[in-house]
Amino acid sequence: MIDFHTHPVMIKELLEKDPTLEKNVHQVFGFHFPAQPLEIFRREMDAAGVEQAVLLPVDATTAHGCRIASNEQIAELVEVEPRFIGFASVDPCQPDAPRRLEVAVRELGLKGLKLDPSLQQFWLHDKQVAFPVFQACADLGIPVLLHCGLSWVPSGLAQYAQPLLLEQALMAFPRVNFVLAHFGWPWVNEAVMLAVKYRNVYLDTSILYSGTPRDTYRRVLAEQVGLEVIERSLADRVLFGTNYPRIDMRRSVRGLRELGLSPAALEAIGRGNARRLLGLETRK
Amino acid sequence: MKSLIYRQTLHTRFETELIDITPDVLQILAESGVQTGTLFVLSLHTTTGLTVNEGLPDLEADMANTLEKLVPDHAIYRHARYLPSDGQMAVNAPSHLRGMLLGFQTFFPIEAGEMLTGSRQTIYFVELDGPQSRNFIVQILGD
Repeated sequence: MIDFHTHPVMIKELLEKDPTLEKNVHQVFGFHFPAQPLEIFRREMDAAGVEQAVLLPVDATTAHGCRIASNEQIAELVEVEPRFIGFASVDPCQPDAPRRLEVAVRELGLKGLKLDPSLQQFWLHDKQVAFPVFQACADLGIPVLLHCGLSWVPSGLAQYAQPLLLEQALMAFPRVNFVLAHFGWPWVNEAVMLAVKYRNVYLDTSILYSGTPRDTYRRVLAEQVGLEVIERSLADRVLFGTNYPRIDMRRSVRGLRELGLSPAALEAIGRGNARRLLGLETRK
Repeated sequence: MKSLIYRQTLHTRFETELIDITPDVLQILAESGVQTGTLFVLSLHTTTGLTVNEGLPDLEADMANTLEKLVPDHAIYRHARYLPSDGQMAVNAPSHLRGMLLGFQTFFPIEAGEMLTGSRQTIYFVELDGPQSRNFIVQILGD
């Protein structure tokens, strides 16, 4: 399995080296549980059967005066743990965002872009703010993972994270692959509509609002979306993601495995789609 | 009478794991120099257990399996929701309830510098929501 949605910000070694990050993780990101050693992150992956994890930072310089975490910190984590796949984040409200993204990809080796419009407080359809960053993604050939729907970040505004706000960008940037996190919950139907229509839309499974992952997958994926819809129309566009450490990987993996998907769809959602999106496919 | 407190850390590997901490406890007692008194072992967590049983791998498996049968993963629990005070989903009710069955502490008398245990008694720190970094305390009261 590949976990496409993790936040590497409760790592003890990282926070001990950067007390400002620790403060922002608590005050801005809303994490209030004890940090764990990096080794525990690896063991959590092992216990869950997760081979690789995508690490997602958020650059909220304009809205909150902080980065959670920096692109350099993500690159350092990837350097010490090859099972990590690092994404960058830039603040679209900063005029040098496209240039910073280019540096993060070309010099730090990061593989994609994470944006959280609810935390960064920008509009996805803003052609002056968001589109230059999407153009940079097109130029660099990297995917974008967007927070969509409910934000558990205390100051996160869900109004910025409605999937439909992305539609103009989907048309304008057909070569950029966009991952809508959390299946866009509660706007699941909007997110599914976009994924069904646009070939450059992916959805990740990190849906957190109430109940265990098993409960949530059953309620949203099986009952609301429908497993037959996923099998027929979305099996190549859904990515397994947890939102770790807001939830543990073990129960999320079990919940997905117990959902009743076909082996082919489970393989695609758990690993294959992520590998293709990240360019990790082995050519035969 | 002295009161000595020793803090120990474990990094667990599995979701459910019985870890024999008897050698650690005996070493702490030896280092304390206490000849007469009482030794307490306490976990500092609510999703772990401390228990004493015979130290055999088959029994370890039986204990883990029995806990999972008594408190199944897929029952309906109230503790399956977002916890704002933590900033994470609280979906580990079975871990808490299994910990409740085991308890979080044990103690033994100390006589002539030795811990008075039965020959088959093993002290287990039981991980019930791992892998995690965990802490337990050994307190020795005596002279």
